[in-house]
Amino acid sequence: MKGVRGKLLEVDLTQGTTQELPVPLEHYHRYLGGRGLGARLLYDMLPPGTDPLSPDNLLFFLTGPLTGSTAVGASKFVVVTKSPLTHTWCDAYSSGRISVQLKKVGYDGMVIRGRASNRCYLRIDEQGVDIRDASHLWGKDSFTTEKTLKEQEESPAFVSSIGPAGENLVKFACINSDLYRQAGRGGVGAVMGSKHLKAIVVIGGQGVPLHDRKQLLGLNKEAHRRASVSPVAQARMKYGTPLTLNITHTGGILPTKNFQFSTWEKALEKIDSVGVYRSVKKHVSCLSCFIHCSLITEAAEGKYKGVTVEGPEYETLGLFGSNLLIDSLPTIIQANVLCDILGLDTISTGNIIGFLMECSERGLIPPSKAFDLRFGDEEGALAVIEMIAYRRGFGDILAEGVRAAAQHIGGGSDRFAMQVKGLEFPAYDPRGAFGSGLSYAVSPRGACHRRAWPPAQEILGDYPPYTAEGKAEMVREQYDINCILHSLLVCDMPAKFIPLSMEDYANYLHAVTGESFSISDFAQIAGRIETLIRLFNAREGFGREEDTLPYRTLFEPLPDGPGKGQCVGEDNLNRMIDEYYACRGWDSAGVPTEATLRDYELSTEASRG
Amino acid sequence: MRVIVNTFGTDIKLKQEIVLEPASPSLRDVLSALRERYRVPLERFLNDDLSPVRGVAILINGRNIRSLDRSATTIREGDELTFTVMVAGG
Repeated sequence: MKGVRGKLLEVDLTQGTTQELPVPLEHYHRYLGGRGLGARLLYDMLPPGTDPLSPDNLLFFLTGPLTGSTAVGASKFVVVTKSPLTHTWCDAYSSGRISVQLKKVGYDGMVIRGRASNRCYLRIDEQGVDIRDASHLWGKDSFTTEKTLKEQEESPAFVSSIGPAGENLVKFACINSDLYRQAGRGGVGAVMGSKHLKAIVVIGGQGVPLHDRKQLLGLNKEAHRRASVSPVAQARMKYGTPLTLNITHTGGILPTKNFQFSTWEKALEKIDSVGVYRSVKKHVSCLSCFIHCSLITEAAEGKYKGVTVEGPEYETLGLFGSNLLIDSLPTIIQANVLCDILGLDTISTGNIIGFLMECSERGLIPPSKAFDLRFGDEEGALAVIEMIAYRRGFGDILAEGVRAAAQHIGGGSDRFAMQVKGLEFPAYDPRGAFGSGLSYAVSPRGACHRRAWPPAQEILGDYPPYTAEGKAEMVREQYDINCILHSLLVCDMPAKFIPLSMEDYANYLHAVTGESFSISDFAQIAGRIETLIRLFNAREGFGREEDTLPYRTLFEPLPDGPGKGQCVGEDNLNRMIDEYYACRGWDSAGVPTEATLRDYELSTEASRG
Repeated sequence: MRVIVNTFGTDIKLKQEIVLEPASPSLRDVLSALRERYRVPLERFLNDDLSPVRGVAILINGRNIRSLDRSATTIREGDELTFTVMVAGG
């Protein structure tokens, strides 16, 4: 099979050893790569009940079969582990040249186990793997770390690293690559920090063998042609993800004031597509992609004038903007940069600061524990970012995530701690699009916008937003499509904006690997992967009880916007979950049925428990 | 009748207040009247028969006309009409 290397690099930091870990060819046929391969390997290799921050946890960096091939959007990697934030399965995706470099030096990915006795970093090239001392880097921010490691190499080097948040085991610390790209969610940076691993450097390598280069070039040419006439692709290339804020505000799903409201007029022309566009200095694209949807922006005025970031993306604008009632783009750019250099997920961080502001305004936090933080307090919000990263003062509580913070604060604050399974909500309020509620509730890593994007159907498509009707099948279908994209490890954006179909990706897969996959093969693979991840979480003690939504989403009617008066409600959620389980072939408790396990050839896994 | 028009595409225009006199308050007639005056900006969003171009959604006060009464949806004084490409993801 072309396009893959058939092995991972296995690093044991406790022993200080490295070796090759062969990947059976069958795994690529049954799980493709990325998310799917991660599901298979984590299930097989991680002992049940492992403490996520112990040396026993495993940290996978995985590519997909298209990585390194020049197929459009194929420069992603995924970090797979057991999350310290949720104690569930965790997959965190990132762009980053390290993905292609890993393939080039001969691996489809790597798995890291153990804990180094001293702070270290990994240096990987074609000649071998070194575990090197990183004591001079420990404590440094991720930008400084990356620049330092690149400067000491003669050849171009590509780096993934953690910042102080990862070192300090902040439960939503991220892993940074190429300065501005993050594997953001679920605390993968904390797992890396727990292993005393500061960074990974990959250098050099050879091109990946391809099956049919001519077919691949033809597919890219056709994708480029379609993008050139796609209004969606054209709009995205001009405005980037900030355009989503105009949609979510209009459709009434924009998180505002810690998800109390769903629209915010003050965001318009300040922190939306129009406002951000005024500060754009350059458009850039990832390696192997012609959709230059990423924006380099520069703060144009005020205290942070001149601060530059690749971003801010929609999620950051939503959670540091409307969610905190901050309408200053320069402040959001500064918040974005702070999170990047300190190594924090902007989604979880913005969400938690919104929660803290609401707690503060409700008088639930004694003044001795935190300053009097109110919505709209720009400097206060920026200060909390640093408190969290360094676990200073009350930041030590917040660093455990919003669910743990609510447990600590008490006073009924869990009702407005916006999380599922401990993972903080991204920037969509499910009360304005009930399918998002289902998608958050059943997501195996907790509240997640990557498994499905129901607003595409509920705000912009054919599905009425304030009903449970038809949502289970719609969400399952989106989950399955994204499962394939995230197992091939291609970016969602070209797929959805050009757009590219599953048939197109089957053609890409053939051009790169020489293997033929049908659409029904993809459906079977996606169902198998989602069911295997369900089995992993079940083995860790998760079931239907954890597939739920916070009180605010279920019971507090929206006070504004098109969905004024709407909340998801228990009956709607239960109906959607019942129907979702049914169309997955899981029973009413969310346990895959024997027939489903047989169909996916997973019976052995279930009996092993 | 006064309506507010947003267009989200390769050019974004927000909160355009437009006074028009449609033949009836149905969306179809409002679109027809809008096109008379705003032909260039709306041709990216509307087909000749006033249906949305493929990949475009029309929202009335944030609600997709597909889950309202489509072209028969009644438009009222001050309603906000949004024409948008079907962007997904953030």
